[in-house]
Amino acid sequence: MAESEEEVNVLVQRVVKDITNAFKRNPNIDEIGVIQCPEARCNRSPIVLVENKLGVESWCVKFLLPYVHNKLLLYRQRKYWLDREALGDITCTLLLLNPDFTTAWNVRKELLQCGVLHPEKDLYLSKLALTRFPKSPETWIHRRWVLQQIQSRKQEQGDAAQVDGERSHQLSDHLARTLHQEMKVCSNAAGRYPSNYNAWSHRIWVLQQMAKGNVKVFHDELSSMRLWVSMHVSDHSGFHLRELITELSKTPAANTITTCPSQCQSVATPSTSPHHHSCARSNGQLSRGDNGTDEEERQLSSTTVLQLFHQEMELCSDLIQSYPGHETLWSHRRHVFYLWHHWKREHQHLSSSDNSSSVNGNRQKVESHGGDGGLPKVNGESCADQVESQKERSPTVEPMDVDVLSLHDSKRLKRGVPLLSITLSSEHSFLDEIMDRCSNPEQRRFALAYEKWLDTVIGQRP
Amino acid sequence: MLDKHADYIAAYGSKKDDYEYTLSEYLRMSGIYWGLTVMDLMGHLPRMNRNEIIDFIKACQHECGGISASIGHDPHLLYTLSAVQILCLYDSLESIDVDKVVAYIVGLQQEDGSFAGDKWGEIDTRFSFCAVATLALLGKMDKIDVDKAVEFVLSCMNFDGGFGCRPGSESHAGQIYCCTGFLSLTGQLHQVNADLLGWWLCERQLSSGGLNGRPEKLPDVCYSWWVLASLKIIGRIDWIDKAKLRRFILACQDDEMGGFADRPGDVVDPFHTLFGIAGLSLLGDDQIKPVNPVLCMPEDVLQRNGVQPDILS
Ligand SMILES: [Zn+2]
Repeated sequence: MAESEEEVNVLVQRVVKDITNAFKRNPNIDEIGVIQCPEARCNRSPIVLVENKLGVESWCVKFLLPYVHNKLLLYRQRKYWLDREALGDITCTLLLLNPDFTTAWNVRKELLQCGVLHPEKDLYLSKLALTRFPKSPETWIHRRWVLQQIQSRKQEQGDAAQVDGERSHQLSDHLARTLHQEMKVCSNAAGRYPSNYNAWSHRIWVLQQMAKGNVKVFHDELSSMRLWVSMHVSDHSGFHLRELITELSKTPAANTITTCPSQCQSVATPSTSPHHHSCARSNGQLSRGDNGTDEEERQLSSTTVLQLFHQEMELCSDLIQSYPGHETLWSHRRHVFYLWHHWKREHQHLSSSDNSSSVNGNRQKVESHGGDGGLPKVNGESCADQVESQKERSPTVEPMDVDVLSLHDSKRLKRGVPLLSITLSSEHSFLDEIMDRCSNPEQRRFALAYEKWLDTVIGQRP
Repeated sequence: MLDKHADYIAAYGSKKDDYEYTLSEYLRMSGIYWGLTVMDLMGHLPRMNRNEIIDFIKACQHECGGISASIGHDPHLLYTLSAVQILCLYDSLESIDVDKVVAYIVGLQQEDGSFAGDKWGEIDTRFSFCAVATLALLGKMDKIDVDKAVEFVLSCMNFDGGFGCRPGSESHAGQIYCCTGFLSLTGQLHQVNADLLGWWLCERQLSSGGLNGRPEKLPDVCYSWWVLASLKIIGRIDWIDKAKLRRFILACQDDEMGGFADRPGDVVDPFHTLFGIAGLSLLGDDQIKPVNPVLCMPEDVLQRNGVQPDILS
């Protein structure tokens, strides 16, 4: 190991250069790591490139990090000069070793702003850092900043070339690619660390920023995530995303306006622009009929929402039965049922009064005792109904759902999708079944807690 | 045992090697706050080097008014709050330019009421908490648009009564602590659904007695503090098994070297040492000074500064 200041200096500069060269030699490096190796082996670089994996030998990290760290801080205090290229190299090394060093990311932001660094390069660097530190909050924060930079640059270009159809198509291609890339980065980090809050809230941010109200993107997310959550039944964050998408999909705004594929340009434009709407008409996969009225679209889309809720509850039931004793699954059930309960109320309200003000109702405030006020009495079933529904979980429509379902009956039947109704009593019979058949004490505990939740939060036991 | 914990904290700063120091320098200001607060709670604050620390903080204030984690680092709301908390412990707010700190915070409020953590614009409810906590300690809450700020935090409330980092984000005990603390400092605790949130928070207690931060996560001393403090703020602390939690926290101590770890058997650090001691204080340990659940500072310090955050009963 190097001893004197001078030796360290020379060695570190060599290592930083080796790292830079490794990226030049192989631009497809997809993972970084530290190789456990307590002693230096003479005349061999501590930087090892095997296929697409870049490794740093552990003996050198101990002095490499303090050295580059202090150099950058001296530069920041204007006590030491580094040219732009050296700054890029040093911050790269630094951030691969210690990605929560906020100031180093900020130096790169400045380099990006003056055009020395390319945004794509920072998306790549942060992606690599996340392979070793999948939670690193500062890395996710930098990523969001870079994405915003890219988005606003593209938007400026888009504004300048509004009439140029081909140009706008390129823009939307880019957006679709970015979406895809971000989902991949998030999935990767979510796989490396369970219930990775920073990864999942980044994913939510991306969906909110880039796929504003695009039902096609939402549905793609739901189906692509289905297998993942089934294999990660303890990952509360994964299920939370499904809940959020379900919630976003059920707002009339999302359903009536944006049903175009993700490569469509409208993704980037505000959901209120006229172009958006026409696009939905011509490319819409979920809403059909070129001259359909808003009312018709709404009915069609509520069929989709209905299906979405049923699929989600079915998935949840299957998982609860296959993997007993997982708090995450029971928590998911609460949330989905809650959303369903409120959607149903809103929707009935909407159908009867055609009141579009409930667009804002998607994040309504939580009422602790489910006081329904003047809304239709959704849960006013008789005991007889309950007994009946307990006896047969058949695909029949219970009285309370008629209002909602009758609108779409014909379409639903045309598609041949039999839907079980989700009601308080169907939830209670699901619980009875669990309690009858399952001896897992945790499962029973969660089932009882869910029952108590239904009674207190949703209210009115049927 | 408290003496051992104090020895551990007192020795912490001096024994660190270059590498360890570098790795955590990006949060040094918060590290100092953790160490000093836990020392004060145990009655050992005079053992720390007051003048050195105050000089350090002065050197970390930037032209813009914001304060950074360490010298040469960039300013951020997180470390601005930690610095102001430390100066309150030492009764020496006058050693920095308070007006500039206020201007820095005011400048970070966005149109929707949210706060960016620094000039680069990241939004998080944690930063809303940092902003109002700092202003409360400085007695300058009226300088920001409080109504808008409240509106934003409430937009991050979820169906389970909890809060996430941004609208639509998952409920998380750390974010809940920030948001209930924020609503306490802004006098808006009545906007919390205390029964529903209390329910969710109680479900964080596991059979070990420890609390986790989200469903199916491991129990952790720091999450135990965030959940416990939130329960205290919304007046529902009696809803959990306090004796069991106390046993869990005590099991996370290092009996020989002092300090607390996240879980029994893990390596201790100052962060978990503060939250272990603060948790024991909230649970009523009379060898430790009473801690304020909102600001995680000794109650006597807040009384001296005339800060009295709301608590639901
Ligand atoms: Zn912890």
